Amino acid sequence: MSERYSRQTLFPPIGKEGQEKIRSKHVLIVGAGALGSGNAELMARSGAGKLTIIDRDYVEESNLQRQQLFAESDALEKMPKAAAAEKRLKQITSEVEIRSIIGDATPEKLEELAEGVDLILDSTDNFETRMAINDISQKFDIPWIYGACVGSFGMSMTIIPGKTPCMNCLLKKIPIQGMTCDTGGIIAPAVQMVVAHQAAEALKILSENWESVRNAMVSFDLWRNQYTNMKVSKVKDEGCLSCGKERTYPYLQPENMMKSTVLCGRDTVQIRPPKELEIEYTEIAQQLKSLGYQVKGNPYLLSVEMEGQRLVLFKDGRALIHGTKDLAQAKSIYQRIMG
Amino acid sequence: MNKIMFFAHLRDSVGEESVTKDVSGKTIAELKQMLAEEYELKLDSVMAAVNEEFASDDEVIQDGDTVAFIPPVSGG
Repeated sequence: MSERYSRQTLFPPIGKEGQEKIRSKHVLIVGAGALGSGNAELMARSGAGKLTIIDRDYVEESNLQRQQLFAESDALEKMPKAAAAEKRLKQITSEVEIRSIIGDATPEKLEELAEGVDLILDSTDNFETRMAINDISQKFDIPWIYGACVGSFGMSMTIIPGKTPCMNCLLKKIPIQGMTCDTGGIIAPAVQMVVAHQAAEALKILSENWESVRNAMVSFDLWRNQYTNMKVSKVKDEGCLSCGKERTYPYLQPENMMKSTVLCGRDTVQIRPPKELEIEYTEIAQQLKSLGYQVKGNPYLLSVEMEGQRLVLFKDGRALIHGTKDLAQAKSIYQRIMG
Repeated sequence: MNKIMFFAHLRDSVGEESVTKDVSGKTIAELKQMLAEEYELKLDSVMAAVNEEFASDDEVIQDGDTVAFIPPVSGG
């Protein structure tokens, strides 16, 4: 082998043997935003055998502060993130097979992509997709690494089927009002810190250093100077519908998925969450106003002006997104606000 | 006595990284309810840890336990 991976193979826990294992592995990266950019670059530089990256979004100016694979030209041309990521990754390395998919990571799509995959790196921005990843991971026996950040805060957890508890053991219901980057802002170092935790765990798994995998949810706040590891081994639930004895893989079932429909004759998409919610308008409205969005409301609905689109949110979580007929774009706008 | 710690935006809502209170004998759900009223927090979907170990809503807090509240986030 060339000198390319020499510093990584000199690291004793990896060594030549570990590097060969890394070279033989296929990693699926779900999302090519901030975490996706960071994770994909580190996986490509580490010499993973194959990377598959899926993303439904395009590059915007507001991404450039933290999404390390993209340049100004990508934002000007509104390049799909998956395509822009592939182009940049291929400049970085010719040794890694890179496949990009411009599209929505629906449960069906993820099932299709899971074939032959050794590890899934979560780089999404919403819990609906993460819960689908969690079920796919259990169904096909593929480890996955959760990562998320907002503001200066970030967290990560490694899920290994048969060994660790799964995300569904931990979060019995989807915390759909979890803060997102669009509502809480984000600083780039928080992204990098999550990426560092995810990529380190990825290297352990790809090089088969299983004993070194962290059996805890790590969370940190770079601004408020907090760092904690929360052990999760006790959480494993034998009755869990995703990883327990009688599994139904609930998040792969159509009735638990978000429904989106193009409304006939109108430039509008309706989004309906899997479960009815009870939304606190005041909190969401305040967050959005502080970010400069124009927000109007009455006791029944909240209306948010976005770039070119208008989102109207009802108390039960249903939303109308005006100004688009594209289901994936509408879902993306909804999840940017709702998490 | 118990040390109760708050992470991320919860720390700002409370105004301090931690508070000390005697909450032994209470369940996590009861403590969440109490803190929600006292500090106007939304803790329904916040994770709790007792002595750095994940704790479910029905876990009973013992004297001397450290309780931490960590909000799951979704951005990425």
